[in-house]
Amino acid sequence: MAQTLAVETHGLTKRYRTGVLAVSDLNLSVRTGEVYGFLGPNGAGKTTTLRMLSGLLHPTSGTAVVAGASPGSPLSLTRMGAMVETPAFYPYLSGLDNLRVVARYGGVPASRIDPALEQVDMEDRARHKFKTYSTGMKQRLGVAAALLKDSQLLILDEPTSGLDPQGTVEMRELIKELRRDGRTVLLSSHLLNEVELTCDRVGVITAGRLVAEGTIEEMRSRGGHALLIRATPLDQARRLVEAVFSRDRVSEQDGVLSLQVDPSQAASINRRLVADGVDVSELRMSEQSLEDVFLQLTEKAPSTPSPSGGGQGGGAS
Amino acid sequence: MIASYRAELLKSRKRWANWILFGILVVLLLAFGYVLSYVILTHPPRNFQSRIPASVLKRETFPENLLPNVFSSMTSLGAAIMIIMGGLSTASEYGWLTVQTILVQKPGRTSVLLGKLLNLAITTLLITIAVLAAAAVTSYILVSIDGSTSSWPSTTTLLKGFGALWLQLAVWTVFGMFLGIAFRSTAAAIGGGLTYLFVGEALVAQLLRDVSGVKEILKFLPGVNASAVNASFPLSYRGSEAGAPLVSAGRGVITLVVYLVIFTLLGLLIFQRRDVTGA
Repeated sequence: MAQTLAVETHGLTKRYRTGVLAVSDLNLSVRTGEVYGFLGPNGAGKTTTLRMLSGLLHPTSGTAVVAGASPGSPLSLTRMGAMVETPAFYPYLSGLDNLRVVARYGGVPASRIDPALEQVDMEDRARHKFKTYSTGMKQRLGVAAALLKDSQLLILDEPTSGLDPQGTVEMRELIKELRRDGRTVLLSSHLLNEVELTCDRVGVITAGRLVAEGTIEEMRSRGGHALLIRATPLDQARRLVEAVFSRDRVSEQDGVLSLQVDPSQAASINRRLVADGVDVSELRMSEQSLEDVFLQLTEKAPSTPSPSGGGQGGGAS
Repeated sequence: MIASYRAELLKSRKRWANWILFGILVVLLLAFGYVLSYVILTHPPRNFQSRIPASVLKRETFPENLLPNVFSSMTSLGAAIMIIMGGLSTASEYGWLTVQTILVQKPGRTSVLLGKLLNLAITTLLITIAVLAAAAVTSYILVSIDGSTSSWPSTTTLLKGFGALWLQLAVWTVFGMFLGIAFRSTAAAIGGGLTYLFVGEALVAQLLRDVSGVKEILKFLPGVNASAVNASFPLSYRGSEAGAPLVSAGRGVITLVVYLVIFTLLGLLIFQRRDVTGA
């Protein structure tokens, strides 16, 4: 059965007037009810993409459907809550008054404000002026504003940025809670651990292009597997495996050999080592971490999407 | 649009800068336009020289001259304050990046700006009422202290004057609002607006008004047209030898309305089409 999509883009492209190509031919699909991690290094085009999906930027070409409607249309905005880049509020107003302003713009009843503040644990400081808030508190208020509309789709740009470890854990729990409620969350981040712990699927963007998309498991498997061998004598073990496999597939770190091979070959390698008098004390498969895969993906891609430079252009990307 | 207006109302009501600007406007109008003028003209210095006696000149602060006296202060002071207020209303949104917070809520861009315009229109209306009321009360107090008699303008004249003042303040407010959207910077919007008001138009109008080619251009400028409207509310005595207005009051009103519409449409057009980028 085909899954419905909360966000879908086809060939989405943004070239700024300066000539910088910030996002190029982006085909993104966020399924309804999932937490989708939008990964990429700084300047990769994450925020530019989220700005286009929120209607803040007009795409140069391509199309997008957000919550079943055109990005930035009242229908789309009604169905989504968003926090894009830095949480921006009126410094002379309290957090509570800022949410009142946001609620009025969004046509949301004032009764939604207290639950939203509670969800981000901001009730105590809600009556203080926004300009007195720490970075973490501003971040929490930004998330509270995104939650006000009680919408089915949430777009959160670096939601844990500026939060202390306790706040980060709470934000992670909040995102998990939103998923349990059946909501779709599209969150951008460059914190791989955060994405690994909260997201169902991820998309990796670098230099304005989506270079990979899939579940966390699928992403990890993209990097292949390594067979880790702890053996004595290690030199002899190394000579043996290098004789069988090419030298560039073998590496050594902290007294452990790492061999880039298919997992099915583990038993035969073990037999061969033992037959040649090598004592094998440990033999196990190691999956590549998301970080390894991320680094491979983002290093492979060209550093800049256009001769003009990176993903910056008229704003953050 | 009403939802946006309600949000704007909350923001502008709680913004101290707006109240401070309003306070400056009223205090300066009453201090320089009324109290100081009355005190100086009641006790003129020995070296006071004027074609018109001080005892006549001080009647400018009495109820019979309510409208021309208010207009003479509001032409520059009122215009400047309203340019600042209009500029702040839009440029600050870009400075604080709150424009992106607003635009990811439900209303479209047009509704957001129309809500802002409605709020500014009502604010300008309230300021017009407050300024005229404060000036009327002060002039009544001064004429009572003086022990003189003075008559109020007719209701028709008062209503026309009220409308003319509201229109002028609205034009300068929308001018400031437009500059805020165009420049996306509070300093540039306010600086640009005040430079135009005090240097661009005022100086050119004073120095070059008799140069034939320039004179034709001046007839289309907002300040010149506002002055023409003001001139239709003369003092009760023959005032100083200010030059005759370049255009009629009727044409002045029409030109100001055209400016109101042009600044509004240009502001809407830019606000609607331009990308909202980060800091």
